[in-house]
Amino acid sequence: MTRAATTTVQLDEAARTAVHDLILVLADTKRLLGMRYAEWILGAPELEAGIACASMAQDEWGHARLLAALLKDFDVDVDHIEHGREADEYCNMVTLDEAPGDWAGLIAINVLCDGALTVQLEALRASSHVPLRQRVGKLLDEESFHAAHGAAWWRRFASASDASRAALHDAVQSRAADVLAWFGPDGPSARALLDASIADGAGSTLRERFVGRIAPLLAAAGLGDVFTNIEPAFDTFDEARRRPVGRAPDQATIQRVRGDRNRAFLMD
Amino acid sequence: MIYEVFARKSRGEPLRHIGNLNAPDQELARVYAYNTYDEERWFDMWVTPREHFVEVFNAERGNGDSRS
Repeated sequence: MTRAATTTVQLDEAARTAVHDLILVLADTKRLLGMRYAEWILGAPELEAGIACASMAQDEWGHARLLAALLKDFDVDVDHIEHGREADEYCNMVTLDEAPGDWAGLIAINVLCDGALTVQLEALRASSHVPLRQRVGKLLDEESFHAAHGAAWWRRFASASDASRAALHDAVQSRAADVLAWFGPDGPSARALLDASIADGAGSTLRERFVGRIAPLLAAAGLGDVFTNIEPAFDTFDEARRRPVGRAPDQATIQRVRGDRNRAFLMD
Repeated sequence: MIYEVFARKSRGEPLRHIGNLNAPDQELARVYAYNTYDEERWFDMWVTPREHFVEVFNAERGNGDSRS
C-alpha cells in the first residue's frame, strides 16, 4: 500500500490533534522514564548496571527533547512544554508517577514501560506523518539495548531465588493494569491516527502486540497469565493524555523534570 | 565474570582491545559493553569471557602450556 507523505500542516484537524497528543504522551513518558533510570545511576546492584542506567537515561532524555521539538510545527511553545507545566498537565505513563522503590521495580519499568514505548513507536515506523517516521528508526535502535538490559535482569530475577522471583512478581503485578491501559481505548483519537495512516494499530491491537512481545519473559518468570487476566478499564481514562484523570506525578518529580533549580542557566 | 571488550572503527581494521567489564552472563555483557564504551562511533564491538583466552607464551614466564 502506498501512502501520501504528510507533513504537519497537511493534517486535518482530528489527525492534527491526535498527533500532537501522541507526541506529548511519548515525550513526557520518555522524560519521566529517563528520570527513573537516572535515579539508579548510583546504587544499582553492579557498577555496570549503574552505567547502563546513565546511558538509558541519556537516551530517553534525548528522545524526549527530539519529540518535544516536533511540537513547534503545532504552534506550541516548546520551552513552556519542557519547563513551564504543572504536574497535572503532564501526559506520562501513570506507572512512572512514582519512583520504583527497589531494583525489581526498576527492572519492571525497564521491561514494561520501555517495552510499551517500543510497541507504540513500532506502530509509527511506516507512518504517513513524515516528521515522526523520520525519527522513529533512531529511537527504536537505541531502545533495543534497553530491552536487552531489561530482559537479562528479568531472567536473573526469575532464576536467582524464590525471594527475587517474588519481588519481580510484585513489581510486575502492581504495574500490569496501568501499563496495559496506557495503549488507550479504541476511541476517536486512535481512530483519527488509523484513518490518516499515522499509526498502524489502535489501543487493542497494540495491547496484543505488547503482550505477545513480552510473553517469553512472562513465561520465564511464571507470570504467564498476569496480563491475559486484565480487562483494561477506561471509565476515568483521558484518551488524549493516555492516563487516568485525577492522578499526577508528585511535585518533587516535576520540579526535577522541569529543571526548576537550573532555571537561571536556561539560554535561548 | 570478567569480559574483555574489543572494537574497531572501520571495516577491515584490526580489532582493538578497549577495556573490560564485570557481568554475570553473556546477555548482560553485551548490554554493559554497549553502554560503557559508547562514547565513540564503532564499526563493530565484541566481548569474550577473559577465561576463554588461551595463553600461547609470555616473554617473562615462557611457554604458557599448562600441561608442562
